[in-house]
Amino acid sequence: MDCQCCNKRPAGIRICDVDDNSIEEQINVCPDCFNLIKRYMFDITKPLMVTADVVREVQGLLNAGDKALATIPEPGGITPVGKDPVPICPDCGITLSEFRAKGRFGCPRDYEVFAEHLDPLFERIHDVQPARHEGRLPENSAGEETVQRRQTIADLRKRLDAAVAEENYELAARLRDEINEAESASQPESSKESS
Amino acid sequence: MTEDAFDSFPHLLGEWLKGSGPDSDIVISTRVRFARNIRGFPFTGRASETQRADVLKLAEDALKQVHLDRSVVMLELDKLAEIKRDVLVERHLISRELANGEGPRGVTYGRGEMLSVMINEEDHLRLQWIKSGFDVDRAYHALCKVDRALESVLPYATSDRYGYLTACPTNVGTGMRVSVMVHLPALTLKENIDQVFKAAQRMNHAVRGLYGEGTRAFGDMYQLSNQTTLGRSEEQIVEAIKAIVPKILEFERQRRGQLYTEERSFVEDKVLRSLALLRSARRLNVQEMMSHLSMLRLGVDLGIINDVPVRTVNELFILGQPSHLQETEGRSLPPNERDTLRADLVRSRLAAGTN
Repeated sequence: MDCQCCNKRPAGIRICDVDDNSIEEQINVCPDCFNLIKRYMFDITKPLMVTADVVREVQGLLNAGDKALATIPEPGGITPVGKDPVPICPDCGITLSEFRAKGRFGCPRDYEVFAEHLDPLFERIHDVQPARHEGRLPENSAGEETVQRRQTIADLRKRLDAAVAEENYELAARLRDEINEAESASQPESSKESS
Repeated sequence: MTEDAFDSFPHLLGEWLKGSGPDSDIVISTRVRFARNIRGFPFTGRASETQRADVLKLAEDALKQVHLDRSVVMLELDKLAEIKRDVLVERHLISRELANGEGPRGVTYGRGEMLSVMINEEDHLRLQWIKSGFDVDRAYHALCKVDRALESVLPYATSDRYGYLTACPTNVGTGMRVSVMVHLPALTLKENIDQVFKAAQRMNHAVRGLYGEGTRAFGDMYQLSNQTTLGRSEEQIVEAIKAIVPKILEFERQRRGQLYTEERSFVEDKVLRSLALLRSARRLNVQEMMSHLSMLRLGVDLGIINDVPVRTVNELFILGQPSHLQETEGRSLPPNERDTLRADLVRSRLAAGTN
């Protein structure tokens, strides 16, 4: 049987899509195409796809030539960092390697913390150079206050839990009052109206 | 809010299924979505239960503050039954990911089902606007209004360098995705669909199945969307879609014309067999229903069928989905019972003389 990807070399490997323990689809490919498919599938920047779709993408790249094939990242995805200490986000605690493994940021701050590693990734994903935003941004930064109040409440809650754990009930009572006060201040007018 | 909003839900369908709007012979709907996050919180995937609850509360309050709560339905998904969540997925109001997610999360949608706001999906907010037909400008401008209103009360996470900051690096920048749902039966029949895929890909656009990433193209329905969001303005993304889609439409129309003039008996046979099957079948699984509905839709456009409105066909695509059938019936059903009910639904909607 010929490889269902390149349609040239003999197929030696069967890829099965499994869903709820039943085989949904089987595709037979040659070892060379299998390696390309595997690299494409494990590219963290790509959405999860069924094998047939991956094969179709890889076929497209095969037809488009070597330059197109080179856009599939090597295993591991992105250029290694070198000997620098492991960058870690002080806000959410995610490390650069964790971000690379998951393909998802932990919080908005990561964009700042990992900035020097991001441009090459963004240039490749978005096929653009330089990797800079074009287009709209919020016109004002209203609502800032609400978020700060929320964060204050979250901090107070943490301190309250700690106080209770230490059986410091005097402090706990004071914190509870502060939380109640902050919470009643953060009720928006219109929600009072409609509830 | 409550589940009351569901009472009339399975029977009333959204604006985008009307089968009207520009190029509605091929384009089912145009959807624009923005991914937005609130500053000061980790992205949903890394947020604690309390932080997710806070985000949900902030978002709901903001929606109320901009008076989006008057004519909309607000649902908290962790309090909603699984079938009802699946109905929302089949309606394209929420994603599969949000339906199957965990913890505090919600959706707000307009009564006409054009606006939907998902809360605590991969990003804190996913705003989307769907219009029937090929109508990018209207969908985009309508969504911008909502976004502008929300940004006046919610501090979005942005940077000058990277724009709107998102959980996934594929959405950063504008956070904008335009998806056009197209019905391409002639290109599928004539085996030209791969050409369309490749051409779209060369222009940085992706073609996916009916229910988004990783899903199959049932019923010859495909979604074309922009793949890149950074380094191009919203207007450029809109213009790119407006340049690509008409080429696909032209290609599909040309193939439809060819089928009708050069292979009349072939296409008439296919269409009329599908109609006869749908009007007679006692059991229909979902793929079978969708592939025959696809032929029906083609037949309506070519004038082979005159007594079935396109809206009926569009609606059956949704009403015949598993969770809609179960929600209408009020209980969960095994597949063979669903197939019987689906066949009943299709027969009654397509019965001669009812339309």
